[in-house]
Amino acid sequence: MDTEFQEYASKFESEINRGISTLSILSIINQYGENGVHGYQISKDLLEQTHKKLVIEEGTLYPILRKLEDDRIIKSEREKEGRKRKYYYLTVYGEKIYNYLSGFYSILTEAISPLFDVSVHLKQHKYLYCPACANKIDLQNLEAKYCDVCGHYIEKELDERGLAK
Amino acid sequence: MNENNMNYSVREYIKEVEKNLPEWLKNKKEHKEILADLEEHLWSKAEELSETGEPDEKSVMLAIEHMGTPQNIAKEYKRRGEPKYYITKELAPSYIKALSTVFGIIVALVIIGLIVSFFTGDSSFETLIGGLFTGIQTGLLLSFTIVTIVFVALSMEGYFPEDFKSKKEQKLMKQLREQEIEEGVPVSQTLKQPLKPFIKPAGEIVGGGIALFFGIVLLSQPFPTYMFFPDFLMILRIFGLITMLEGSLDISRGIIGNRRPKTHQVLHALIIPLKLSVIPLIVILMNRPEIFPFFSEPWIHVGIPIEFYDEYRAIFSVIIAIISLTTIENIYNIIKIQKYK
Repeated sequence: MDTEFQEYASKFESEINRGISTLSILSIINQYGENGVHGYQISKDLLEQTHKKLVIEEGTLYPILRKLEDDRIIKSEREKEGRKRKYYYLTVYGEKIYNYLSGFYSILTEAISPLFDVSVHLKQHKYLYCPACANKIDLQNLEAKYCDVCGHYIEKELDERGLAK
Repeated sequence: MNENNMNYSVREYIKEVEKNLPEWLKNKKEHKEILADLEEHLWSKAEELSETGEPDEKSVMLAIEHMGTPQNIAKEYKRRGEPKYYITKELAPSYIKALSTVFGIIVALVIIGLIVSFFTGDSSFETLIGGLFTGIQTGLLLSFTIVTIVFVALSMEGYFPEDFKSKKEQKLMKQLREQEIEEGVPVSQTLKQPLKPFIKPAGEIVGGGIALFFGIVLLSQPFPTYMFFPDFLMILRIFGLITMLEGSLDISRGIIGNRRPKTHQVLHALIIPLKLSVIPLIVILMNRPEIFPFFSEPWIHVGIPIEFYDEYRAIFSVIIAIISLTTIENIYNIIKIQKYK
């Protein structure tokens, strides 16, 4: 590979990776829920769950976490005993943002998949993607009949799936 | 590599990260925690990569490699703020504030210099006016360049305005931000209370209406025009047109009321060139005292008598200074309204 190609490709790769990495980090923090997760575990899970395809320089994980904390998407708590690691949790606001962005990204990935001749299918049995704003609504923990991001009334969509009470 | 060497490698790596961190972060207590977290991560990674479960020479070096270069880590911390050209959105209001303050000081200094020269020196009036414009022009250009370079550098380092505040102020700002989010209203940082409405609509409409009326009078000139020089009447018409436009913009701001802050900012930005466009008219009048009406018995128009030329021009110089200063008020309003967005 010539240098120009390498430089261009690497710049483009980091542009693509930037948002995806942050969203993936949020996804891992979300998986740990109330237990929280420390930085090292996040980087480990990120590698394992993406089959070592989403590689970020591990040191750069901390500035990303700090920014997310500054933006009130996540909060942290330091262990009082032992290695005194910092554990990260999604805030209520962060959960809302994560669900929305996760839905947006999923729909986008499915939509653009034909461009690259690959198949991506949304898990429609598990989640409802709000038709008005793309927010991902977990059907297992359905609390209201409207989208908590845009307020769209989802009774019709639930009815179609036989979920309306 | 023995244990000391491994510790040395880790310490050197952490030291290098610290060296590259942006200054605003180094000033915070938090930066020690950041370095401790990185070190903790590094040792955990070295443990994982080692075959024995205990960090060794090879695994420590590999772990350092996985962490990324200190420059890349520091670069991420500098990636702060929303890019808006070369100055971040967060620093833009401070940049405009700094520019207007420096501009105001320069204009004031040059005017003071001019007034002092006017009363003490023996330079001609034209030389003084020439000096005024050259002084303002050079000062503004130089200060614009310096202030811009400083703010571009601060933006590249990821500085935010709060980084220049004391810890107590930072804490207060954080509390206010939380209050703002909870209540959904902007809060004053000094009063710790919700911000007052940024304009009084009735005042703007009345003020604008008066300006509009005055403009229409100057434009239509419903008075005995034979008493004035035609060139003076033409200047009055142009001035009337500018006043009408300015009045209309004020009325529009009044009608919009305390909504759509961005539109208010645009309207203020439009008023600035309108105000400044009056200055050339005044300069023409300053250079042509013979067309300015000076009523005396038996009530016929005459130009300003030669013995009053200096006073006549001094009054207009003060008017130019006042107009320039009122444009700073518009710039201040643009900055102030930023808080309401």
